[in-house]
Amino acid sequence: MSILKDWKIHIAAFIIVVICELIGARKVQVGSGVLLFLPMLYAMVLGGIVSWPRLKLINVQQMNAASTILSLTTFILVAKLGLIIGPSLVKVVQSGLALSVQELGHFLGTVILGLPLAIFLGLGREAIGATFSIDREPNIAIIAEKYGIDSSEGRGVMSVYICGTLFGAVWLGLLAGYLSALNIFHPYALAMGAGVGSGSMMAAASGAIIAVFPEQKNEILMYAGASNLLTTIIGIYFCLFVSLPITEYLYKILTPIIGKNKANEQANGGVTK
Amino acid sequence: MRMGETALVLLLMGVMIVVGNTIGYHYPITDAIIGYLIIMAVTLLGMGLAKIMPIKLPMVFWISLIALLATSPISPYSGVITAYTSKVDFLALITPILAYAGLSVGKDLAMFKKMSWRIVVVALTVYTGTFICATAIAQIMLRLEGII
Repeated sequence: MSILKDWKIHIAAFIIVVICELIGARKVQVGSGVLLFLPMLYAMVLGGIVSWPRLKLINVQQMNAASTILSLTTFILVAKLGLIIGPSLVKVVQSGLALSVQELGHFLGTVILGLPLAIFLGLGREAIGATFSIDREPNIAIIAEKYGIDSSEGRGVMSVYICGTLFGAVWLGLLAGYLSALNIFHPYALAMGAGVGSGSMMAAASGAIIAVFPEQKNEILMYAGASNLLTTIIGIYFCLFVSLPITEYLYKILTPIIGKNKANEQANGGVTK
Repeated sequence: MRMGETALVLLLMGVMIVVGNTIGYHYPITDAIIGYLIIMAVTLLGMGLAKIMPIKLPMVFWISLIALLATSPISPYSGVITAYTSKVDFLALITPILAYAGLSVGKDLAMFKKMSWRIVVVALTVYTGTFICATAIAQIMLRLEGII
């Protein structure tokens, strides 16, 4: 029972949950959109403060235990989403075409927006690992196998992975809440968009969409869950056989056009040595 | 991790989820406890299936499959399962998950400090890109199909 032995983090997590749920959701108007602050956001921030190394409240072993528990509990999320989708399975199948086609947005959206920016900012081959996917665990494995984890591409994927772990959920929660409040997109479309392929990010994004459109809660969870499932399962194969080759190809074409410091590309990457 | 330990961790999570669910979303506590136990059973069954099945597919697939079947129209207990599990709010599940995500932050901070601001900007753009591109395509597709 090695994981349960780290009782300190469980007590900390419990207290954090109680405090966050007592505070509840808060909205702040920004321009024509709304910044949504949900209990999950406070939970991440409070957890981060407790875990701040300088405070020495918990040690690295306990942080690792928290991380193991995190990956286990995302399975609870998957089960809950499946249970929500079940009764409306027919409805999901009816939207099957839209669901499948929007996956292209999930898989290629990272490259379309991320790669030109990464090259423009002067990243070398790190740009490939950084932008070919959303860089979660399965994607790291793809890069590690093809280039090695100590390569430029490996540093790129690891850097974005860490940023995703630290800010992914918070960022997507705020972004999804803001976009929802702008009323440009239909909640179903936003819900499908929220299925980015990471449990915590999907949860944060769909939670924010629900807070703006509470009366469509079930449909939002249904589409977000179905989309997330598709992204997770197809994603591994799509990233390996389609996204990565496309990213490589675009990198070669775009670097001479918008890249700077071409000769210096290795030194200019994500992680300074 | 062994199944017994997994079950214990999930039970512990359940305590937090049910307490948060009662404070933040005001569902009846006994219904929520039963609901959580069902969700937990589905999760464990899916994990077990992933281990014994000869076809290697992600655990997420098997858990989803069992969950979908449990509440789909073909399941005889679909009504009961939906009634109880809907008493556990989705948002109540996320709060403890992100609390643990927060508690594990410290272990990545050392490496994060070594990263340049460029890669942080790129990372946020990558996550923005995947969300917005998929949303835009979904919007167009749902319009074309007349669903919205």
